[in-house]
Amino acid sequence: MLKYIARRLVIAIPELIVISFLVFMIMEAAPGDFLDQYKLDPSMSKETLEAMKKELGLDQHPLVRYFKWLSGAIRGNFGYSFYYRRPVSKLIWERVAATLSLSLTSLAGSWILGIALGTFSALKKYSLTDKILTVFAFSFIAVPSFFLGLLLLYLAARTGWFPIGGMISIDHNTMTAWQKFKDLLWHMTLPATALTLGSMASLMRYMRGSLLDVLNEDYVTFARAKGMPERIVVFKHAMRNAINPMITFLGFSISGILGGSLFIENIFAWPGMGRLIYQALIQKDLYLVITSGLISAVLLVIGNLVADILLALVDPRVRLT
Amino acid sequence: MKRFLLVAVLLAAVAIFAAEKYVWFDEKTPYLGSDAAGKYGGRIVVATLSGPRTMNYTVAKETSSTDVIALFMGYGGTLVELDNYARLHPAIAKRCEVELTDEGKMIVTFWLREGIRWSDGHPFTADDFVFTVNDVYCNPNIPSSTQDVIKDSQGRLPRAEKIDDYTVRVIYEEPFRLAVRYIGGLYIWPKHIAEQWVKDGTFREKWTVEAINNKELVGLGPFIPVEYVPDQYIRAVRNPYYWKKDAKGNQLPYLDEFVFKILPDLNAIKLAFENGEIDIYGVTAQFYPEIKAKAKKKNWVVGTGGPTYGTTFITFNWNHDDPVKRSWFRNEYFRKAVAYAMDKEAMIDTLLAGLGVAQWGPVSVLSPFYNDDALRKYPYDLDYARMMLQLGGFSWDKDGNLIDAQGNKVEFILSTNAGNTVREGMCNIIRDELAKLGIKVTFVPLDFNLLVNKMLNTTDWEAVVIGLTGSDEPQGGRNVWAQKGTLHFWNFHPDAAPGKQIKPEIYEAPDWELEIDRIFAENVKVLDQKKVYEMFSRFQELVSEHLPLIYTVQQLYLYAHKADLNIIEPTAFGGMLWTLPWIYWKK
Repeated sequence: MLKYIARRLVIAIPELIVISFLVFMIMEAAPGDFLDQYKLDPSMSKETLEAMKKELGLDQHPLVRYFKWLSGAIRGNFGYSFYYRRPVSKLIWERVAATLSLSLTSLAGSWILGIALGTFSALKKYSLTDKILTVFAFSFIAVPSFFLGLLLLYLAARTGWFPIGGMISIDHNTMTAWQKFKDLLWHMTLPATALTLGSMASLMRYMRGSLLDVLNEDYVTFARAKGMPERIVVFKHAMRNAINPMITFLGFSISGILGGSLFIENIFAWPGMGRLIYQALIQKDLYLVITSGLISAVLLVIGNLVADILLALVDPRVRLT
Repeated sequence: MKRFLLVAVLLAAVAIFAAEKYVWFDEKTPYLGSDAAGKYGGRIVVATLSGPRTMNYTVAKETSSTDVIALFMGYGGTLVELDNYARLHPAIAKRCEVELTDEGKMIVTFWLREGIRWSDGHPFTADDFVFTVNDVYCNPNIPSSTQDVIKDSQGRLPRAEKIDDYTVRVIYEEPFRLAVRYIGGLYIWPKHIAEQWVKDGTFREKWTVEAINNKELVGLGPFIPVEYVPDQYIRAVRNPYYWKKDAKGNQLPYLDEFVFKILPDLNAIKLAFENGEIDIYGVTAQFYPEIKAKAKKKNWVVGTGGPTYGTTFITFNWNHDDPVKRSWFRNEYFRKAVAYAMDKEAMIDTLLAGLGVAQWGPVSVLSPFYNDDALRKYPYDLDYARMMLQLGGFSWDKDGNLIDAQGNKVEFILSTNAGNTVREGMCNIIRDELAKLGIKVTFVPLDFNLLVNKMLNTTDWEAVVIGLTGSDEPQGGRNVWAQKGTLHFWNFHPDAAPGKQIKPEIYEAPDWELEIDRIFAENVKVLDQKKVYEMFSRFQELVSEHLPLIYTVQQLYLYAHKADLNIIEPTAFGGMLWTLPWIYWKK
């Protein structure tokens, strides 16, 4: 097993290099660069723009810049952000906690609720509850999460129950630990709800479908026929098989935990990676974009690996070699 | 009012610059805020769309950074300062004299107030100012856009000299009209801290946003930023050594804290204001009627403060590769027809919710150099537009399409930056009106970067609707109006085109362009305000007559704030915070 993991990780290295190079080339191929935003400013002289170009290294050949960045990245230096004039790694690190707290909460929420309600829905197939849950799921699948976010924001503005945006109050630093926790929770409620509802709904539908497929299999009918208690049929045998496709899905979810909540973070002024990357893309803040692309790729590799390991654990047919 | 009169009289005195020496202001001229009477305490929370990038003013390019820097370097932390109508007032300098020497040099002498301290308690002296001018802003190793502003007409930088601990002079090689305003308005750096950075070459790497939480920032302004939570808020506290005092001799500022709350979305900012989470709000036209309607119930003050400074216009590429298109765009009657066909009323009503004014010329209405009489105006009239086209040698074919003298159908592509709904709306209105004249306009919104690159580096564009930031001082537009200006995009000079894309054999500069070029080169050497006014009047006349840029409409400055906050006369220039050190809560 350990050998398998090590091999997968070694193979990932050239993959990641290729991905970072592709991101770099796409950024280069897109028209314009970071300095464009200053070019229509009448107070900015040609000399100043030239000086900035040189200072940021934008006068060098793209390949030279890429390999400089790559050689730095291998040594753990991911370059400087043009915009913030600070190391990219510091900027990203500052936001990781915010993003993780939000995305892990909603990831846990949507998986627990999605699987529970999906299972319930499958077992109560075509009942009134199932129908209500189906309508509920399709509505949230149909409504984009950013729209749901805006709706919740209006709810907050109308009622005053929740803050309009942000992760903490201005007085956060003067609070006790318990108050700090409550403050954070109060701010997180709406964005986490917006994120959870959307993905929970689709997970619920997947789970329902998957479990229903399995429940129609011959071995389930056989188990039932030989008088096995329904609880054991469903939760020990059927569930174990129904969960397989979900695990692959979980692998993808992991890759999205750092950048997946882009719109929601923007709407709720949540200080996470999504917002940082979004701004960097718009500003053409090159090294910040490549590094975040690289991080997403790393998470995708890890997510897939985790999914494969989990699959091997639940499904005896899968052997990792 | 008395104060304004005094400044006006002093400025007018420049006109009679008979003496070699002139007192710009003296000890009797009051500083801004000296007549304030408020009370201490409280905090004000203001929204900003994004967090600061840096706290180092020589690096800062965008308002999200400079607005925060102003808290500890501006608002009276400079030698002179401007009020909400861009009128000059003394600040740290209590007296200012300008002298023209026999060799043609100009010497500006500032007498500094004594006993002023930096926010860390260190005494402020002439050394700090001399260091700021010579070693920071005039240092070739520390490039900053400030350098471009303080250069004279030949591109030479000034030099500062210390006379004694509280007197400094700044020497220019030739008269420079804007010297007092720009040199006096420089953000001052603490020599006892920053000198080391200049010596070891790390100046531009210092005072990143991390300096806020490390409590490294030192300034002469009213507030010192002390806490920054990325993408959340920046909190600044009262500078214990701020030098300004109110009418009763109480030290300013009145507020304990100033907070910028970072809200990246205009909808969220509006909701936060309605929710009471922020105290002042720069309203957008779209939301203004709604905010105004709620004002009484919610106890807000909501109002308008005259047109803003920016400009939005349509312009054509005079150097297009196609000689046919080039000839239309260079045809003045063609441009006049477009000007007559522009339905500005419709733009104001539909795009700005009625909260705008028509714009006719390149100088802002708020500028002291604005001259309405000098402007030629083109009220919406399609008959006039048709007449102009006929005068320009155009006619119509049997299907009603406009054709030029050679029989070519007139059609072109109009672009703007995608996502700017007001500009997109303008393009649609222009397209519809020109269609009535038989001109086929294809509207293609483009990504901002792509559009800017096309306009500045290629000849591959036909017409664009775009905007430029403006200012009360027309000289700020030199890069746009000078013949070899880097933003003279409609008719780049072959030597100055950023992409070297203009072929010298097709380039033409009409006489009036050369005259505008001369006005921009000469006016900064003229100290006589009246003469400068005349020069800029001529500039406005030339632009509105020949229409290199055809101006559209300008939104009004809109504001809203909680009624118990004593915000004084907001304008587009000063915003709501120009009196920040003496803003207070009434209850």
